[in-house]
Amino acid sequence: MTAATLQTALEQGRHAPGEGRPKGRRRLSGWWLLLAPILAFDVVLFLTPLGKLVASSFADNAYQRVLEDPLVLRSLVNTLSISLASTIVTVVLGYVIALVLWRAGTVTRVILFAVVLLPFWTGILVKNFAWAVLLQDNGIVNVFLQGIGLTHAPIELLHNRFAVIIGMVHCLLPYAVFPIFSSLTAIDDRLGLAARSLGAREGSVFRRITLPLSAPGISAAGLLVFIISTGFFITPVVMGGPGDMMIANQIDYYARQLTDFSGAAALAVVLTVMVSIMVAVYQRVLKAGGQHEDN
Amino acid sequence: MKTTNPQHRLLALLSVPVFLFLVIPTAIVVPVALNDSRYITFPPEGFSLAAVAGFFADKAWTSALTASLQSAGIAVVIGVLLGSTAAIGLHGRKFPGRSAVMGLILAPMIVPTVVLALAFYQFFISIGMVGSIIPIGLAHAVIATPYVYLTTRAALAGLNPALVRSAQSLGAGPLSVLRHVYLPIILPGLISGALFAFSVSIDETVMSLFMQSPGATTLPVKMFTDIQFNLTPKIAVSSALLVSVATIGLLLQVLFVLRRRSTARMLPLAVSAQT
Repeated sequence: MTAATLQTALEQGRHAPGEGRPKGRRRLSGWWLLLAPILAFDVVLFLTPLGKLVASSFADNAYQRVLEDPLVLRSLVNTLSISLASTIVTVVLGYVIALVLWRAGTVTRVILFAVVLLPFWTGILVKNFAWAVLLQDNGIVNVFLQGIGLTHAPIELLHNRFAVIIGMVHCLLPYAVFPIFSSLTAIDDRLGLAARSLGAREGSVFRRITLPLSAPGISAAGLLVFIISTGFFITPVVMGGPGDMMIANQIDYYARQLTDFSGAAALAVVLTVMVSIMVAVYQRVLKAGGQHEDN
Repeated sequence: MKTTNPQHRLLALLSVPVFLFLVIPTAIVVPVALNDSRYITFPPEGFSLAAVAGFFADKAWTSALTASLQSAGIAVVIGVLLGSTAAIGLHGRKFPGRSAVMGLILAPMIVPTVVLALAFYQFFISIGMVGSIIPIGLAHAVIATPYVYLTTRAALAGLNPALVRSAQSLGAGPLSVLRHVYLPIILPGLISGALFAFSVSIDETVMSLFMQSPGATTLPVKMFTDIQFNLTPKIAVSSALLVSVATIGLLLQVLFVLRRRSTARMLPLAVSAQT
């Protein structure tokens, strides 16, 4: 039987008159069993812990208490400013990478994709450790800066906000590349050809065709990266100083240092609500941009 | 499309530092671990396995490695079972509440890990389940399962639901359909999902940190604790081990993408795992 006849047989099978109701019902009841394990698991080990967390956040006037804590306010401001800075840098660098991937031939593209995916597969602590090695006082970056005579003593490159942003951008880049790349590949190549044949230069093709048509990918990438940024916990501790603590670190501080669990829970709810709103916006943007991710 | 006009050359030139920025930190980890020095330096001063030997002679680090492998084992087994059954159960079926079910399955990916860490910490204390690797493995399974679901769903995308109906109308029972129709099709997705689940668990730090106990300290938690005091050769060896795992995962994934071009699309969906 050839593939074509098999396909025809399948198409006919789809509308086969013999496919009666009782059969369909029996099948449906059986297939529900496949969903039962994951539903039971998620209800017991995901919804229940989260529900308990939310419930505990309403004890002891926790919301008012944490929102009046100046440390909390500072960590919120830090979260917003560090996330915003990281997002801008990530999207710009991600756009450059996506453009190169878009223009590359097949073999180069596969190799460069692997390069983009390597940090994606590497754990955050490994990446931060590597940056700490590179940026430490006698690290290669400081040696280089002294070698070219830019400075005579090592510069403190670690334990500040600059280092946090470097570490975060490195983790976030793959997340920015994919949405931008997929919006670039959706552009009809003939538009550029037409513009060039009418005398447009490369710069104006980029400004008036490529950039506007990839805008949905840019906004999707920016939102996604910002969403992920707001939850960072490890990088501010390893690469930042005491003044760079973000909201996740504040939750940890309330839970494990102050053992104030209702306070920690209230902060966790605040962070989750913020993230959920942004995720809802993100999915709107994806839909509007025509990127199909049916979740 | 190969072009050699100046703008494209400029773009290629501009992108070199960006690609180096991506690769260099991961690339230095193994040389740093094999460096012949008592201090952490790059570039290396010579080749030595002393740090590796020191790592494997240190009980605290080897038990951390064991704990990590145990939690990853739990996460992979649960993730593969739940993720694949969910993907098959939802494949080609329309019913009221379908999107709610899918939302629940994917939700663990978007809740920030620190929030889950706090929730699990309180939950497992409240049911008296502390001091072992099991709660950590279960927590990892919660965030790893959506990955297996997504990779299996991607693998199933090419399966015509009519094929299942045909098999059934020819008399195949449910188990036979699973074994002979679904399994061959989802197998690459399952393998890819298992790799994801393993990688998510082995790198996860925040939840493991909250739920750590003397007998259940994973590799990343040990690294996180030590790194705040000093950069030591043992942290470098641990990093090198994790990078090796990552490289194997990446190579398998590249092979997989080359064969079916579908997984790269869903990667940006992964929100929670790595902060």
